[in-house]
Amino acid sequence: MAGRALWKGFIQFADENIPVKLHVAVREERIQFHLLHKRDNVRLRQLMVCALDKKPVPAEEQIKGFELEEGRYIIIDPAELEHLDPAESRQIEVHEFVQSELIDPVYFERGYYLEPDSSATACTALSGALTEMNVSGICTWTMRKRTYLGALQARDGVLRLNALRYADEVIPSASLELKKYPISEKELGIAAELINKLTGPFEPEKYSDEHQKKLQSTIDRKARGERIAIIRPKRQKPTEPDKLLQALEASLKKVA
Amino acid sequence: MKSLPKVATGPDQEALHAMWSGTISFSLVAIPVQLVKAVEPGRVSFRMLHKKDYSPLARKMFCPQDETMVPPDEIVRGYEIGPEKYILITDEELESVTPERSRTIEISEFIDLKEVDPIFFEHPYYLVPMKGGEKAYRLLAEVIRQTGKAGLAKFVFSEREYLVAVKSTGEALTLITMHYNSDVATADEFSSGRGEADAHELGRMKKSVKKMMAQFSPEKYADRRREKIVELLGRKVKTSALVEAPAAGEVDSEGPTDLVATLQEIMQKMKQER
Repeated sequence: MAGRALWKGFIQFADENIPVKLHVAVREERIQFHLLHKRDNVRLRQLMVCALDKKPVPAEEQIKGFELEEGRYIIIDPAELEHLDPAESRQIEVHEFVQSELIDPVYFERGYYLEPDSSATACTALSGALTEMNVSGICTWTMRKRTYLGALQARDGVLRLNALRYADEVIPSASLELKKYPISEKELGIAAELINKLTGPFEPEKYSDEHQKKLQSTIDRKARGERIAIIRPKRQKPTEPDKLLQALEASLKKVA
Repeated sequence: MKSLPKVATGPDQEALHAMWSGTISFSLVAIPVQLVKAVEPGRVSFRMLHKKDYSPLARKMFCPQDETMVPPDEIVRGYEIGPEKYILITDEELESVTPERSRTIEISEFIDLKEVDPIFFEHPYYLVPMKGGEKAYRLLAEVIRQTGKAGLAKFVFSEREYLVAVKSTGEALTLITMHYNSDVATADEFSSGRGEADAHELGRMKKSVKKMMAQFSPEKYADRRREKIVELLGRKVKTSALVEAPAAGEVDSEGPTDLVATLQEIMQKMKQER
């Protein structure tokens, strides 16, 4: 069952106006912990505490300020911020199409599936076109008082809307100021050969969260009063720079 | 791997703050690395203040029974097994669950990056080399850049185990956490029909798409709401007085400063650091 849609809207570009329903594509459930007071195992609550009084401050006595200089603030009224919320809209406005491989994976924030609303004809044609041409529609839409940048894509006959991060949210790799280290052609060649040998198809079904099961079993054992053996994680010894070529050659021999 | 909600304001000086250190390895090559942020959410962050005296507020853990603030060394992690019944788990016990993966990102195989369905991508980080690892780091980054590959690894961080893809961005290695296959809903039910698209419709659609082809230039799209908040702050700096928090330790004032210029400087810095 498809379940309830999260949002409904229209994909718009050129003369197209395609009604769709948006669905969550990813659901994650993980073991949750609570923070407790060591002394009495009472569950702790998070409160806002005044730096001066050192006392909890109730919500109605909290205000928002932008710190312009140390200790000096511009006070912002919540109504002023609400005023800036984007206007409600049902449009997924496609501004342009780009080759899908030009979008660096770091931009992808969250994916949604799009289900055809009413007629499927236009969705089928659009998803066919996007797949055949291997392109993504760069679009914007407003949902829950936020305007999102997105990449409209298709896979296996299903349209998807991928929320993208804004460009200025991505820290440029140049800011890491990595130094160039000379590498020989030989090292590059052997490493490429090794990596090619270690390459397989992307099969995500091969991977599951094994840690969750083990964590659950640790909890269960502890609940039965068993002691948990503490194992310190070992740090692997780094390959020394002058042994790099040797390590690559030995690796290659191992996989051959 | 999400960080706690940020209360602090202004430019983030901790962009390069390492959140983890360990080793990344493939086959017999091991490279010491640190994990740092690759994205910085662009929301303008405000500080919560006390209405009556403009003192900044801090998030603290509070024990409702003792009615006291609880310092970090008195906080423990508990798993709820019944109403008000918990099993305590220490950091050491947590790390002992999968110790081999908590300090090592062991690449088990490489894949062609373009094969990955973007629905799997979750959160990117940069890896930076530590002393002695620079050369091997550069070699791995360069080879996967040239070949368009990514390394797949399992990696335990904090309370979770992640499937990660390690790829290159410029001269850097990027680690992207990925969703597990079992967490991704099947899409079959949303398919717009098994049938072939109507040939005429498909042709028309392709024509429309072709007319709108462009380069991917994400910098064209700014977060309009964020821009408006900055505009609002700019207006308010000119029209309303700043409030001052009572300083716990007295700070000397340096006389009137150009507030608009200060605001511009802060915004500029926030942008540059992203």
